[in-house]
Amino acid sequence: MIHLENVSKVYPNGTEALSNISLDIEQGEFVFIVGPSGAGKSTFLKLLIHEEKASFGKIKVNGYDMMKIKNRKVPYLRRTMGIVFQDFRLIDKMTVFDNIAFAMRAIGAPEKIIKKRVAHVVSLVGLEGKEKCRPNELSGGEQQRVSLARALVNKPEMIIADEPTGNIDPKMSFEIMKKLVEINSRGTTIIVVTHEHELVREFGGRIIIINGGMIERDEKIPTKYHPPESSVSDFEEVIS
Amino acid sequence: MKFSSSSYLVKEGLKNIWNNRMMSLASIIVLVSCLIITGAASLLSLNVSKLIAGIGDDNQINVYLDYNLSDIDSIKLGSTISKIKNVDECIFYSKDEGIKEFKDKLGNDLYQSMQGDENPLGNVYKVRLKDLSDYKHTIDQIKNIDGVMSISDRAAIARTLTKLNYFVTLVGFWVVLILGVVTLFIISNTIKMTMYSRRFEISIMKSVGATNAFVRIPFIIEAMSIGLIAGLISSISLICIYNPVRETAGNMISMIGTSTIPLEDIWLQILLLFSGSGILIGAIGGFISITKYLRKEGGEILGW
Repeated sequence: MIHLENVSKVYPNGTEALSNISLDIEQGEFVFIVGPSGAGKSTFLKLLIHEEKASFGKIKVNGYDMMKIKNRKVPYLRRTMGIVFQDFRLIDKMTVFDNIAFAMRAIGAPEKIIKKRVAHVVSLVGLEGKEKCRPNELSGGEQQRVSLARALVNKPEMIIADEPTGNIDPKMSFEIMKKLVEINSRGTTIIVVTHEHELVREFGGRIIIINGGMIERDEKIPTKYHPPESSVSDFEEVIS
Repeated sequence: MKFSSSSYLVKEGLKNIWNNRMMSLASIIVLVSCLIITGAASLLSLNVSKLIAGIGDDNQINVYLDYNLSDIDSIKLGSTISKIKNVDECIFYSKDEGIKEFKDKLGNDLYQSMQGDENPLGNVYKVRLKDLSDYKHTIDQIKNIDGVMSISDRAAIARTLTKLNYFVTLVGFWVVLILGVVTLFIISNTIKMTMYSRRFEISIMKSVGATNAFVRIPFIIEAMSIGLIAGLISSISLICIYNPVRETAGNMISMIGTSTIPLEDIWLQILLLFSGSGILIGAIGGFISITKYLRKEGGEILGW
């Protein structure tokens, strides 16, 4: 699914954000990327979504060779992944429904399918009845759930969450992480970049620590959280 | 592209015009000014060309006789002119008939004071030629006859009008070029402003896998709609002012009235050409802007 081999990224100003990184992430893994600010976590994500191109090395993501990918193919690569942002990135003038539908409209999905699919993901993230609300009428946790629904609506193979709990309270952070675990339990790869060690310890899985542009540690820790059966079956429908 | 996507993109493009209405209005005003000036210069040029062609086809000249030539000598001179091989018809037009034409403009008192020997005009022969290709030779022959003061040389008028036409075309070309560049600049700036105000949405669209074409279309539709609106406004304005201007010019110069292009012959062309030009300018301006944006900032997602 993701294969990095001796990857380095040097920005035009000479900053070496990543240095000789190699790793593999398999389909269905739940991976935390942790590390201090400026460690290279964001650059790592940018390489995965092809916002930046690696200076050296080999990268393969969801079957695409990131060193050779043509610009016109990048949108199709991005359709294989959903992105959840720290600052939610919701459009204020749009309702919850339209914010989620926007992701489907942007890839030319028919309106009929959009209606069905959006209604479904809204219920999965627990936002029934809030479809007509605007983002400023929602709490931080709810906004992040809208963001999660938007990432999920195009049935991606992989979810990339960049500090998904950075702007919400601990209780809501836990809820968001629970949703991500539930999504993962049906086979979707989840990559979470976070600073919150407590959440990492709670949910466990594979932890990759990046520091100074290099992988400091890559290990698996046991999870303390197990998703309830009912929510797993709900997500099964959505992911499939 | 699917119909649902197309209608969504068109709706988005049209919504942009309203959301960014002040800049859209500015673009429309500049584009309308540009198109009106372009159209006015083109119409003037077309009409002058027609006028020149009309003059070229007209084989009648006026031969003005010396003021002190007696009536008998004037009649004799007429028979000399008639003998010239290329002269088809030679009609005498006396100075008394000439002054009558000015009666209304002069007023009765002045008109009365200009009768007989006080008449400042000379006698005139209206001469029709058989063959225009021998125009210059015939004119020279008439000029050499004693008692002929001057000839209304239509070739000279045609030359002057040709120079005017050249000038109008040249000035029109530069005006069109400069205003065209200004218009493209204004339209692409409008689109750039719309893009910057929506760069957040663009980054989200890109993050979920929207193609550049999909991101581009609403902005190009917005620019084309601005161009179409401007094209319609400017063509309708020109159509409305064309006849009054033509009539005013016709009153000022008698030969213009019959030689210019009637509105009925060109209104549809004006409407279609202007709307088409507006759409084309809009499409080019919009395309330049959005393509430039997508190449530079448009790829930013996380680093937005």
